[in-house]
Amino acid sequence: MILALAAILLLAAPQMAEAQLPEILVERRLAEQLPLAIGDTVHLRALASEGAPLPFRVGGVHERAADPSRISRNEPEVRLQLSDLEALLPDHDRVDRFAVTLDPEADQDSVIAWIESLAYGAAIYPTEALADEASTTFRVISRFHDAIGAVTILASGVFLLCVMLIRVDERRRDMGLLRLMGVSRGTVFRTIVLEAVAIAVAGSIAGAILGTLIAGVVNRYFAGVYDTTLRFATVTPDIIIVAMALGLVLGIGAGVLAALRISRTAPRRLGEGR
Amino acid sequence: MILSVSLRSLLRHRTRTVLAIAGIGVSSALLLNMTMLAGGLTGSFEELIGLRGFTLRVTPAGSLPFDTEAGIRDAGRVAAVIRDVDGVRAVAPVLGAQLYRVVEEGDGHERVFASGVVPDDQLLYELLDGRDPAPGEVLVSQPLADAPPWTPGGEVVLAGRLDPSLGRPRDPTPFRISGTGDFVFDYAGQRSIALPLADLQRLVDRPDEVSLFGVGVVAGADEEAVAAAIERAVPGVSAYSTGDLVSALDDQLLYFRQLAAILGSVALVVTALLIGTIVTIGVRERFGEIATLRALGIARHRILSGVVAEGLLIALVGCLVGLPLGYWMAGQLDAILLDVPGIPARVSFFVIDPPRVAGALAIVIGVGVAAGLLPGARAVTAPVVSGLREEAE
Repeated sequence: MILALAAILLLAAPQMAEAQLPEILVERRLAEQLPLAIGDTVHLRALASEGAPLPFRVGGVHERAADPSRISRNEPEVRLQLSDLEALLPDHDRVDRFAVTLDPEADQDSVIAWIESLAYGAAIYPTEALADEASTTFRVISRFHDAIGAVTILASGVFLLCVMLIRVDERRRDMGLLRLMGVSRGTVFRTIVLEAVAIAVAGSIAGAILGTLIAGVVNRYFAGVYDTTLRFATVTPDIIIVAMALGLVLGIGAGVLAALRISRTAPRRLGEGR
Repeated sequence: MILSVSLRSLLRHRTRTVLAIAGIGVSSALLLNMTMLAGGLTGSFEELIGLRGFTLRVTPAGSLPFDTEAGIRDAGRVAAVIRDVDGVRAVAPVLGAQLYRVVEEGDGHERVFASGVVPDDQLLYELLDGRDPAPGEVLVSQPLADAPPWTPGGEVVLAGRLDPSLGRPRDPTPFRISGTGDFVFDYAGQRSIALPLADLQRLVDRPDEVSLFGVGVVAGADEEAVAAAIERAVPGVSAYSTGDLVSALDDQLLYFRQLAAILGSVALVVTALLIGTIVTIGVRERFGEIATLRALGIARHRILSGVVAEGLLIALVGCLVGLPLGYWMAGQLDAILLDVPGIPARVSFFVIDPPRVAGALAIVIGVGVAAGLLPGARAVTAPVVSGLREEAE
């Protein structure tokens, strides 16, 4: 049976020793806020109804499954038997939706067609379609994060190139001396690029560690704000590989550009102040 | 003179300076975006709520507007009670419901969201062409108006329910399209219609019931006090002021505000690092030059102000680059976020709030000054002799 949910009002109630009261499940957060314990009696009234409050016994405390689609509407909830909820509401024999489990051999499309032929006006969603519909918001937010990520990569790239140029500029005289001593242009070029790779590798490793630490802080912070077990930031091996690859590409790119500037300059000019 | 020395120092390393300015430009654009995002939707939504002059919403107790299918019954009497409350100027009843348009001689149907309104006192749309819907007429939203038979002057057949045995719309009723409206709370591309309240109540068999009332208050009246008075006068309803609705939205958008704070801080750190690195290296390279100036008797504070001016200049030019870039990026990011389901097309996630924008840019410039202070202070306090020796080497 589906447990229907609705906006209901919990009224303060004295402890009552009524053994046959209908039971409700109270979400852990609500049980802590009020506070409520198993065996307590509460009176409930539907906000949309003018009926009298009815008594219920707290039969258990449950933890709501972590559901990102409900994070913006994070009200605590109680669960009760469908018939008990109907008794509180003005409309009877009515549900918001049915969840249907199929036999493993059943053909999903045939079942959907059959239900549609019985219940005109009902919308029937397979699990995948429902998940797709429910995740629209997250797909949009993901695109937003991607866009912000692109801007961040741009800023990081500029920063990296700037730092590489500064480092190379600082050593113009050394490079000029090496060239005058007969070290080839290619060797100077490779030295600078190698240095850029070393910096990029060290920076990427530091970034991966820092990112993992920050993700932990973000998760702990939001877990406190929303009182949820959801994880808002995850650092997976794939993400680390992509981030390190990006760092390396940016670093090598910056190193190549900086090395090109130096290797194309005449050795005697490398000694001149800039 | 000191300023020109700073400027020359920046121009001497043109590539480096241009890159630094580009980096600061991107960072300050990101900071600007996050500043606009932090309060953007809230401010935009606040403006939208009061757009038609109805700043309060009265809904079934405990529910936000159109949050549930619950309705307010005995609506005529309730509206009269609300009108008598001190400070109330006008009351706009609204009933929201799903209707079915009969397609091809009753064999099929198309769903459309309908609002029942009293055209003289309504908060949902602004008339674009044609006229308000009279009994037997409907007004359509722009996305519908281009698709026959919804074009103004056309006729549609609507029903409130489906026949459970045949699957056809039951009790279909013909309506004429009276005109086109801009439905201010619709999301982009939403297909909506508005029709007289009594017509919709009859179609969906919800006589004398509404989903909510929009309430306009007299000029100068305290919205919160009027909302409280309505709740006292009518049991079983909740009355929300604009502030209450904005606060509810704020709770739902907490994630975006916090994301804006985090990303804004990151942008600020990147800006500080960039300016700090550039100025520190620049000062380091000119250690000998600065020592020479000090040996010549130039006052420390003049040298320090020159170094600070360097950071300030980079930050200022970076901000000038970041400002247009930030506005352009805000438009792009807004277009992405407005795809979130249920967000009215009229609101914007990124809203330009001049004091906030000025604050963000002032912070970047402040960071530029601070980034110049540290290396500058080190340069003017270092022993002159070691600086001169370094220059000689």
